[in-house]
Amino acid sequence: MKQSLYLVKASVLYILLTGATVLMSFPLFWMISSSLKTLAETNSAGIVWIPDQPTLQAYIDIFHNTNFLRSYFNSVFYVTLSMFGTLISIAAVSYAFSRIEWPGRNVVFFLMLSTMMIPAQALIVPQYVFFNKLNWIGTFNPIVIPGYFAGGAAMIFLLRQAMAQIPKELDESAFVDGATHLQVWWEIILPLLKAPLATIATFLFVGLWNSLLTPLMYLQTIDLYTLPVYVSTLYNINQTTQPWPTIMTAAVLTTVPLIGVFFVAQRYILESVVISGLKG
Amino acid sequence: MPTNPYLNVSVIAVLTVIFIIASSYGLGALARVVVQLRGATPKIQQNTFAGYFFAAPWIVGFLIFVLIPLGFSLYWSFTDYRIASSAPVKWVGISNYAELLLKDTTFRASLINTLYLTVIGLPLQIGVALFLAVLLNQKMWGEKLFRMAFYLPVILGFNTAVLLCWRLMLNTGTGIINQIIRALSAFFPPFGYLNRAFIFAQEVVAAFFLGLNTGKYNLLNKVIEAGFPADVRVPLWVQSPLWTKMSVVMLMVWGCGTMMLIFLAGLNSIPKELHESAEVDGANGWQRFWKISFPLLTPYLFYNLVVGLIASMQIFEPIFVLYRDNQPIVSSTISMVYYLWQKTFSHFEIGYGSAISWLVLVIIMIVTVIQFKLQDRWVTYDVY
Repeated sequence: MKQSLYLVKASVLYILLTGATVLMSFPLFWMISSSLKTLAETNSAGIVWIPDQPTLQAYIDIFHNTNFLRSYFNSVFYVTLSMFGTLISIAAVSYAFSRIEWPGRNVVFFLMLSTMMIPAQALIVPQYVFFNKLNWIGTFNPIVIPGYFAGGAAMIFLLRQAMAQIPKELDESAFVDGATHLQVWWEIILPLLKAPLATIATFLFVGLWNSLLTPLMYLQTIDLYTLPVYVSTLYNINQTTQPWPTIMTAAVLTTVPLIGVFFVAQRYILESVVISGLKG
Repeated sequence: MPTNPYLNVSVIAVLTVIFIIASSYGLGALARVVVQLRGATPKIQQNTFAGYFFAAPWIVGFLIFVLIPLGFSLYWSFTDYRIASSAPVKWVGISNYAELLLKDTTFRASLINTLYLTVIGLPLQIGVALFLAVLLNQKMWGEKLFRMAFYLPVILGFNTAVLLCWRLMLNTGTGIINQIIRALSAFFPPFGYLNRAFIFAQEVVAAFFLGLNTGKYNLLNKVIEAGFPADVRVPLWVQSPLWTKMSVVMLMVWGCGTMMLIFLAGLNSIPKELHESAEVDGANGWQRFWKISFPLLTPYLFYNLVVGLIASMQIFEPIFVLYRDNQPIVSSTISMVYYLWQKTFSHFEIGYGSAISWLVLVIIMIVTVIQFKLQDRWVTYDVY
């Protein structure tokens, strides 16, 4: 009796979970399925779950579309350039907040945490004017350079928490041997933090890769467009029919790096979402 | 500067790194001089230098990209500054704010749309997140896989490409969501009734919110007069002003993975003994959830509420991708940030845009402070 009750409970649970999984991943399935369809099939009045004759025509076309390829390259380029600077500066600032005692540290740290309250959008207007004065509109500079100044208070906090857990004796013995702070930071502390650094790199990557608002503001010409900006132009509200197979092909190719990174790093990500959320 | 855009930004990046290192040395040295004058020991002097040296990138960035811009935008919000015109900047006092709060119907629409997202969307989002967390907390085989599947939408999140996929799925006539609704209604009539009840309730609520916008409730009367929807009706997702906000709510619910992880952590932190002893006392699962788990989850609920509210007040991408340039519809779903973007970057009204961004900032602060003030009334922090 008790066992059959357990079986019923378990099967209900699995049905619910599977149903939720299907619903949650449905857009992904639909994206892939639509990218293999013809235009007629994407607009058909009946449901076409999987096209009878999947066509790779949209993929072939998009690999001949120089605007798409360039926007892909632009995204990879700016994300890489921005990520490295951001990661290193975050690592430096976290070191200051976790392993050095200096007057004013608590005040600066509190200030940093309170910037999490400021919505990024409140800053875009004056920043736009500032970058306009520097003649940086129409270049990659405004979307790359700000990150070099340790952009992202939540990421600093996450790394600081991880750094603070390393025993102090480690650097003290290094200092006795005559090491400098720079050496301790780069040669002792950072190599111990590969997992948190990978997590932060992943978060930065996802944020930069998805970013729409700032690239839209600053990259004024099509040869500078990043993927989200270019893909948004594929959908033209003034046309009666949208080139859905093309758009969905672009969408699949845009999300492939995201999904790849997520599968590689998911173990760390799922943990640190909770750490950064709850201790903050 | 080189004209090649890639070379250009690379050169600027190198110059930025040099600037950061130089300013780090400068700040560190300055701090050392200050503590030296105060008669600190050499050890403290050394630590002061190192501390400011390593923290300098953030301090300098905070000054350049946060503090000074905020100051300037506060000043501009009291002027009629336009980036395109060469006329001198004129001080206009509080007229930008007065205009926004009293006259500007679009800004009022954006506030009411945000209200809809927080009153209708946020509870749905939090509810689904809690439900999924409770399911996952049963600790069965494959839990990790399910957890990944539920979190993946957060990663894909508001990527333009994914939003366009939603646009395709939400098409009224040929979109897959409505096709499934039609097929299910034909196959299984009770589902059809449920669907039509949902349509009716949603349209009444949405019409009420649109009425709040304009002060006229004709649409609400019309919806109520039309009565229970005919059996061919399907949701008009991205087509009708009554539905545009509901489509955004769907996206919010889809991206509830972060909230779910937070709830899951909360459920994990509840001591097993509490549940076991209650079970011995004869409490069923439902009672145990509401009497034991839920009160202990309130701090996590509070966190999700604070973060969720801030996020729903900052929505931009879905509105931009789904409704951009669709003039008749956009006012039914316009968000504060979308309006800010529109004013600043298509009309170049910096003064007015600054006033909007300060209002958004102040509104977010006020809402957050109110939430923190109210938390004592319902959040349980002490367990034992």
